[in-house]
Amino acid sequence: MMLAYLTKYKELMYFLVHKELRIRYRNSLFGFFWTLLEPLGLMVIYTLVFGYLVNLNKGLPEGAYPLYVLSGLIPWTFFNNSVRKGTKALSSNASLIKKVYFPREIFPLTMLISNLVNFIPAFGLIMVMAVVTQQSIQWDQLALLPGIILIQSGFTLGIALLVSVLNVYYRDVEFIVNLLMRAWMYLCPIIYPVKMLFSTDADPIVQQFADLYFLNPMAVIISLYHGIFFPGQGVPAHPTIPGFWVIYTVLVTVILFLGAWYLFRKMNRRVGEVI
Amino acid sequence: MEAIVVENLTKHFRKAYDKTLKGFFISLAKGEKRYKEFTALQDVSFKVKQGESYAIIGKNGAGKSTLFKVLSGIIYPDSGRVEMNGKVAPLIELSAGLSRDLTGAENIRLNCAIFGLSKKRIDEVFDKIVAFSELEEFIHTPVKFYSSGMKARLGFSIAIHIDADIILIDEVLAVGDKDFKKKCYAKMEELRQSGKTLVVVSHSLKPLRKICDRALILDKGKVLDIGEINEMIDKYQEDKKPKKKKKGA
Repeated sequence: MMLAYLTKYKELMYFLVHKELRIRYRNSLFGFFWTLLEPLGLMVIYTLVFGYLVNLNKGLPEGAYPLYVLSGLIPWTFFNNSVRKGTKALSSNASLIKKVYFPREIFPLTMLISNLVNFIPAFGLIMVMAVVTQQSIQWDQLALLPGIILIQSGFTLGIALLVSVLNVYYRDVEFIVNLLMRAWMYLCPIIYPVKMLFSTDADPIVQQFADLYFLNPMAVIISLYHGIFFPGQGVPAHPTIPGFWVIYTVLVTVILFLGAWYLFRKMNRRVGEVI
Repeated sequence: MEAIVVENLTKHFRKAYDKTLKGFFISLAKGEKRYKEFTALQDVSFKVKQGESYAIIGKNGAGKSTLFKVLSGIIYPDSGRVEMNGKVAPLIELSAGLSRDLTGAENIRLNCAIFGLSKKRIDEVFDKIVAFSELEEFIHTPVKFYSSGMKARLGFSIAIHIDADIILIDEVLAVGDKDFKKKCYAKMEELRQSGKTLVVVSHSLKPLRKICDRALILDKGKVLDIGEINEMIDKYQEDKKPKKKKKGA
């Protein structure tokens, strides 16, 4: 069903993605390089603040904190931008939606694809950083990268579909999403090594809730990326079921996606009049 | 063969009293309905044959635009059946927000892509659209600098070139100069000859006599009458006159 759309409207999606990318970097000197400069800048800031000032680099190899931050931040940025832009994907195209009908799923999907296009060269930057800081790369984990990206894309699209259509009915969603995304970022292993939560000198309250940490699918996904560069910081093994957290994340993604798809279809019926 | 079948179509709109959270809780506490229903279309039924040119006439607020939006798929009906046999192309105004910053050429590509044309097909029709719109000189200018007449010309040119079977036209013919209007009418005639179905929603009646075969009169969301175009226009104008006087008094 979805694939049929993809092929029929591929020209439209190509056009919209192209336009989205062009608009994003219009009137900027560095253009496309902002995709790389922005996470690099954030990496420097986080390294200075959290790596040196707050000392969140416990348990990481010497000098590896910048790479740790970058390898979590870039996948996070992909998710964050897709969801935030996805929230406004329908409401900002109101004038078009009011005039002509075509599958409206295309708008959040376009946001996802244009962010994916940005994500891929940015991931190359992580690889460069790994070489520069002389960290080892786990090739067997790297081979799983397409799968990791697929899971993340599915999860992201599920959320984007949901918030985009909700935002048509209630514009409050936009503000709630912005706030929640910020909280969500701190619930993911981006500025702190995930092992810190499970170490014996962690705060007792943290230890108590540490087992619930990986119920957050994004924490699993970011850890999958970390696993490529830091063997000790990947998704932890479950005592009984091997690969438990990955299976869990895939299941959540599938359920979320189908649920979001169904809800989008349902709420879509009134979008033409309330937008 | 029927190109469009509409049966017992009804559409209500909800008018929210108060969309704020406070208003929501107050009405929730009082246990009252949180919206007021407004019937835009009530039990509308009609059929349009393939190759026919059909007019929908009515006063402002009669439900013409709602019906137009239901036919083009933007709004879902609450009840009733709408069957469109073939690809539908509504004639769109190009002032739409997304396309304002795009050039005329980009708008052609975007609109063709919206209607699912392949890249190859877009390349084929591109020159035809430009030629018909007579906008060769300005085709690489952003649409926001176009006059309303230019936008209408481009919109019309796109709508007739996207291989649609049913073309919906909403009021837009009011703009554009005399020569272009003439060209539009000639083109519409040509489209009809080639078996396309046209539905024109309008309250400018004069041109309808020339283009349309049959008409439907809408009044307050209900079908008043359906019949031959000249008959219907005469009837509509008769109905309209006394009411106009009342309003003035």
